[in-house]
Amino acid sequence: MIDNDGKAIIKCSVASIVHNMRMVHIVLPLLLVLLSLTACGTHGETFRDDKMDFGAIQTVAVMPFVNLTRESTAADRVRDVFINRLLATGALYVLPVGEVARGVTRGEVTMPGVPSPEDIVKLGGILKAQAVITGTVREYGEIRSGSAMANVISLSAQMVETESGRVVWSASSTKGGITTTDRLFGGGGQPMNKITEKAVDELITKLFK
Amino acid sequence: MPGVLLSGLALCFCLAACGGFRQQPAPRGAPVASIAVFPLENLSGSAVPLKSIKTSLSEELRQRGLHLLEEDTLERFMAKHRVRYTAGIDEEIAHALKEETGVEGALLTSIELYSEGVVPKIALTSRLVSTGDAPTILWVDGVGMAGDDHPGILNLGLINDSRVFLRKALGMIGESLASRMARKEGRRGTAKAERKFRPRIAYRSDLEGEQKYTVAVAPFFNKSDRKNAGDVLVLQFVRALHGLGNFEVIEPGLVRKAFLNMRIIMDEGVSLEDAQALFAVLGADLVLGGEVLDYQDYQGPVGVAKVNFTVQLIERKNRMVVWSSESYNQGDDGVFFFDWGKVNTAHAMAIQMADSIGGMLVKR
Repeated sequence: MIDNDGKAIIKCSVASIVHNMRMVHIVLPLLLVLLSLTACGTHGETFRDDKMDFGAIQTVAVMPFVNLTRESTAADRVRDVFINRLLATGALYVLPVGEVARGVTRGEVTMPGVPSPEDIVKLGGILKAQAVITGTVREYGEIRSGSAMANVISLSAQMVETESGRVVWSASSTKGGITTTDRLFGGGGQPMNKITEKAVDELITKLFK
Repeated sequence: MPGVLLSGLALCFCLAACGGFRQQPAPRGAPVASIAVFPLENLSGSAVPLKSIKTSLSEELRQRGLHLLEEDTLERFMAKHRVRYTAGIDEEIAHALKEETGVEGALLTSIELYSEGVVPKIALTSRLVSTGDAPTILWVDGVGMAGDDHPGILNLGLINDSRVFLRKALGMIGESLASRMARKEGRRGTAKAERKFRPRIAYRSDLEGEQKYTVAVAPFFNKSDRKNAGDVLVLQFVRALHGLGNFEVIEPGLVRKAFLNMRIIMDEGVSLEDAQALFAVLGADLVLGGEVLDYQDYQGPVGVAKVNFTVQLIERKNRMVVWSSESYNQGDDGVFFFDWGKVNTAHAMAIQMADSIGGMLVKR
């Protein structure tokens, strides 16, 4: 519309277009930066100390895992699978659980699931291990959503070297859960032992990557 | 004078024969003249008619021509020596048994499962241990069965009568022992376990397949809901390893005594220090131990047996783990059609899992 108001309208429209374009020029790069940050965030699940010589680690002790689930034996089951899988790689020697228990008693470690750096250094001397692995089982068991159900496991692990008590590696893994197929067709998901092995395998892969 | 000399010589010969005589361990193939049937051990965690089962077992053995020590003689012996533990014997009891009663073998039986329900079930392990100064395992076998193991067409093979069922189970034990006594077979031999009973995760290192090892089976750490599951797994592995030519299994009674004498209290498992002590005291080359996470049977016709355990083997030579594995199975693993191939007792499943591990240990 060509009148004072129309001219004003056109001017406003042009101005608004220009404003919008400026917004686009500012907002779009911001969005791209944010997206790239989130992409980096997915790799943040694993920490690896670049200064650590992992080749020097030959013997490790796997401490009792912390159990944050309702299943009382979850931590023991996952720990057993972890020890056997780690041994089976042949890359590290894992001390027997009885030996670790002896070290915990000797070292008077009050909280074996979450040992302090001083405890770790003490254990290293008693057990003659170059590193200690601790872990936490966050989820273990069945979950339900409506009429669908499946097994899920979520765990994390850390490796602490025994010279200084410093964390040199940490990672986490979550497996199982209710898939689209479970929702549509039922089935109960994969057996607990299977997904436990998968989760442990993923952790060990992250350790040796 | 010559008469005196001859008498003196004869006396010397007698003294030489008696003095310094050292009881040798019974050679594996030698027949055992008489057996003392010890009271049964109850590992089922529920009430079991032990006396009547023992009476039935003794009858089965007598019917097969085995000579058994009289019940009251054994009871007097046990009272005199204050024998309370009947699932194993140590050197002291074995020596006294030989000296005082003259028997050459002690039959030790443990009942793991007994149910007289709609579908009767039984699981037991028996072993024959030589008496004298060095008790050794001469024979070991077991039975784990349910009345619906082989129901057949129209359930014609289903066994509902618990007495018939018990007779069948004890008959199998009697037959196996009689064969051993007749020197028809010394060892059970490596039973070929199905592939599905192989451990899910296994680590093996530096164990020579051809060499003969002496192995002490330590009590398994029981983290399951089933009472005495740790002791049950010990018997399964004693049975599985004894069946192989590569292993000399130390009598569990001797292992138990070593644990008590050295005041070994296992915290989660056998430590290297404990293993070292066992190597020294028992003269073992290997110590086998582990954890039981699941050991489940079920009552009645509906259900699934479940077994889950880990095993570790520590070697004397360098005090390191040379075998570590995790095994878990359910009775309906690999079963797709009409329960064909289903294993109805945890015992039957556990022995196959143990056999599988034994086979992998000796494989080069």
